[in-house]
Amino acid sequence: MEELFHRLGHPFPDIMIDRVLDVDKDKNVRTLKGVSADEFYLSGHFPGNPILPGVMTLEGMIQSALLLVNELYSRGKVTCTLEKVDRLKFRRPVVPGDRVEFQIQLKAQADHSLKFKGKALVAGETATEADFTLKISVREVGFDL
Amino acid sequence: MMENREIQTILPHRYPFLLVDRIVEIEAGKSGVGLKNLTGSEWFSKDHSFYPPNLLLESLAQVGGVVLGLQARAENPQGAVEGLFAGVSDFQFQRYAVAGEQIKLKVEMIQHLASMYKFAAEAFVGEEKIAGGQILLSFARVTP
Repeated sequence: MEELFHRLGHPFPDIMIDRVLDVDKDKNVRTLKGVSADEFYLSGHFPGNPILPGVMTLEGMIQSALLLVNELYSRGKVTCTLEKVDRLKFRRPVVPGDRVEFQIQLKAQADHSLKFKGKALVAGETATEADFTLKISVREVGFDL
Repeated sequence: MMENREIQTILPHRYPFLLVDRIVEIEAGKSGVGLKNLTGSEWFSKDHSFYPPNLLLESLAQVGGVVLGLQARAENPQGAVEGLFAGVSDFQFQRYAVAGEQIKLKVEMIQHLASMYKFAAEAFVGEEKIAGGQILLSFARVTP
């Protein structure tokens, strides 16, 4: 999976997804991440009061969306960048012990832009939601030999 | 101007999630300009030299947190406060910043309703704007 995100040009070293629950017809994906007290960035966010940084749930959504991009462009080389974030709302804090389910939907696709709607749920309750756009910046069509 | 040591007296964030290095301009409760240097030895620069876009959002929110925190401290030096990153709207990335660059993080409060504070936020490398939009912080005094 690390290789996959590297191939898609995504600049984040840590994988924010533990499991892919299902991918359906290139349009929807559901993934899962468990939050644990020993994740290293929780030591600074905050000392003695671990809360998963909201931007990390955004990261989980972006990575889940990249799984869909990979389904769409399984051949050749594709590089994605995050182009836009809108209506991002952090509704409740996520803490160690929680299991976060990311639900991502591909809403629209035009030229080189892919629009997604994403949610991060904890026990059925929305913790984070956002609309975001990924832009395909480089695409080389390759052939599998 | 505020050095990192002083920023740590306002923000509860610590390594590896303190994502602003220095505040160069600040008007408490109104606006602020922060700096974040990108260098190759940071935890997120293992394979890539780009600054992850979600962390750029966090950096801007932290400058907003200093702007609000400084005002709250001026009003009541002993008072406890609680700040949370509440949201982002209409935020556009022109390009990613890379290691070796210094990001200028500019925030300006544009709206305030109850405990919600909306900021116009922009990131620059030199004179070039690399990203911008609006961020929303929730900030309240905690009554014991």
